[in-house]
Amino acid sequence: MNNVCEKSRPSAARPGYSALPEVFVRSFFIQAGWNSERFQNLGFAFSIMPALRKIYEPGERFNAAVLRHLGIVNTQPYMAGFVIGNIVSMEEEMAGRPGDAEFEKKMLGVKAAMASGFAAIGDRIFWGRLKPLTTQLCIVVWLMSGFYGWLFTGAAFRPSMAVLFGGPLAGVAVYGAFAVYMRWVGIKKGYSCGGGSNCGFDAVNWSGLIRLLSVTGFAFSLLIAIGAFGLLVAHNWSGEDTGGQALKAALALGVMALQRVTRKSGRSVFFAVGLILAVSTALFMAAEKFQIYL
Amino acid sequence: MMMILKALISSLFAGLLELDNVQAGQFLISRPALAGPLLGWLNGCPLEGAKIGLLTELIYMEFIPIGGVVPPNGLVAAAIGVLGVAWSGLPESAAFFFGILAGFLYGGVEYRLRGARTGWITGIEAEVKNGAVVRLGSRLAGSLLTESAVSGSYIFLFSGLLSLSAALASGLDLKTLFRASDFAYSLMPWLGLSGLYFRFRTQVYKKG
Repeated sequence: MNNVCEKSRPSAARPGYSALPEVFVRSFFIQAGWNSERFQNLGFAFSIMPALRKIYEPGERFNAAVLRHLGIVNTQPYMAGFVIGNIVSMEEEMAGRPGDAEFEKKMLGVKAAMASGFAAIGDRIFWGRLKPLTTQLCIVVWLMSGFYGWLFTGAAFRPSMAVLFGGPLAGVAVYGAFAVYMRWVGIKKGYSCGGGSNCGFDAVNWSGLIRLLSVTGFAFSLLIAIGAFGLLVAHNWSGEDTGGQALKAALALGVMALQRVTRKSGRSVFFAVGLILAVSTALFMAAEKFQIYL
Repeated sequence: MMMILKALISSLFAGLLELDNVQAGQFLISRPALAGPLLGWLNGCPLEGAKIGLLTELIYMEFIPIGGVVPPNGLVAAAIGVLGVAWSGLPESAAFFFGILAGFLYGGVEYRLRGARTGWITGIEAEVKNGAVVRLGSRLAGSLLTESAVSGSYIFLFSGLLSLSAALASGLDLKTLFRASDFAYSLMPWLGLSGLYFRFRTQVYKKG
């Protein structure tokens, strides 16, 4: 059924190819069995199972292949496709090399190297940039729709349901589409170039993409920060004197500085939240008539 | 009674959404900014839900699930915040802070769930070695069901506890405390915006 020349055959003729759509669907569950010892191993084995069934007859070699992939796997879930596709391709080759311990060792090495390489890229793209960008998108949609209730928590706003849901859904749509695309591209690319630990790393200009997302995110951050301070001034324009306005602006800046200092000193945001809550409580207990809201 | 039923349905729904958080799909439909207004809409307070959701998302943005790190749970925080308003009748600000605390504590629960799944591996490996048909799909379905049930129960129980505490404390004068939490809550957007700003600034101006 298999031989060492598998990859010289067109993809469609290779045994694992027809299983790729099912592998793709299953890859959405790669983290379903997340465990502290071997991380995504259960989800990984579950994802490639349809391909293994096509590649091996039921029996000893199939079981050995399943066992192989119950070892440690830890990568970024959206980028896992690159590893999965590559491993399906290598398993096809392995099927034509019964008992080749050297190749098996190479496959597991490639798997580990790719998993950590793509985890580093994926963490930067998805967790470090795209996810915060979706939050920014939500804020921008709300700002452009005139809903500032998230900024002035005590003020009365009555936005429509379309606005309330439009903000977060805009980010979900963009993020979800990109994540699904990446999963599929990963599996296809990994499968077609499988065999080496550098497979898929040239699929996209990763460093360019990371840079682009960083710059976009920073531009949005800057615009949102400027917009928020502008709104703070506008919101208090009629009801506050200059001193009151300055106090509110100073409070906002002070909180931002606190966040920065907290991070610089290695403490989490919970420290800042707790401190703000504790100081507020002490302040209001000490001066009962004290009243100020941003 | 109706409110308890609503809270139960909301908790179960949040438990389902929770699957998107880590285990299945990860399309971001479990993000607090979406889960907040959704759960708020279910409970008649979509505006409060949206505010609590976005602010939770901003505060929790600092935590990234890199490697084996179990971050605090934003969905749980937003769900408990919304139920704190709708079920317990707490001011939005107080409900938000209780939600933040609950999301932080849920990290410990998630850690234990992951630890419990570690025990499965030896059994699965033994099954494969013995030539038994491995039903990884059923195991993972069980894992999803457990995760959903645990997070849903946690949200329901924590919110129930909040509701009970609020009822017991109804005779006390907590106005000053609530005013203080309103004030602290009004500062949260700025704390979150700062996190957002410096995250990207550091990336753009990173040395080397």
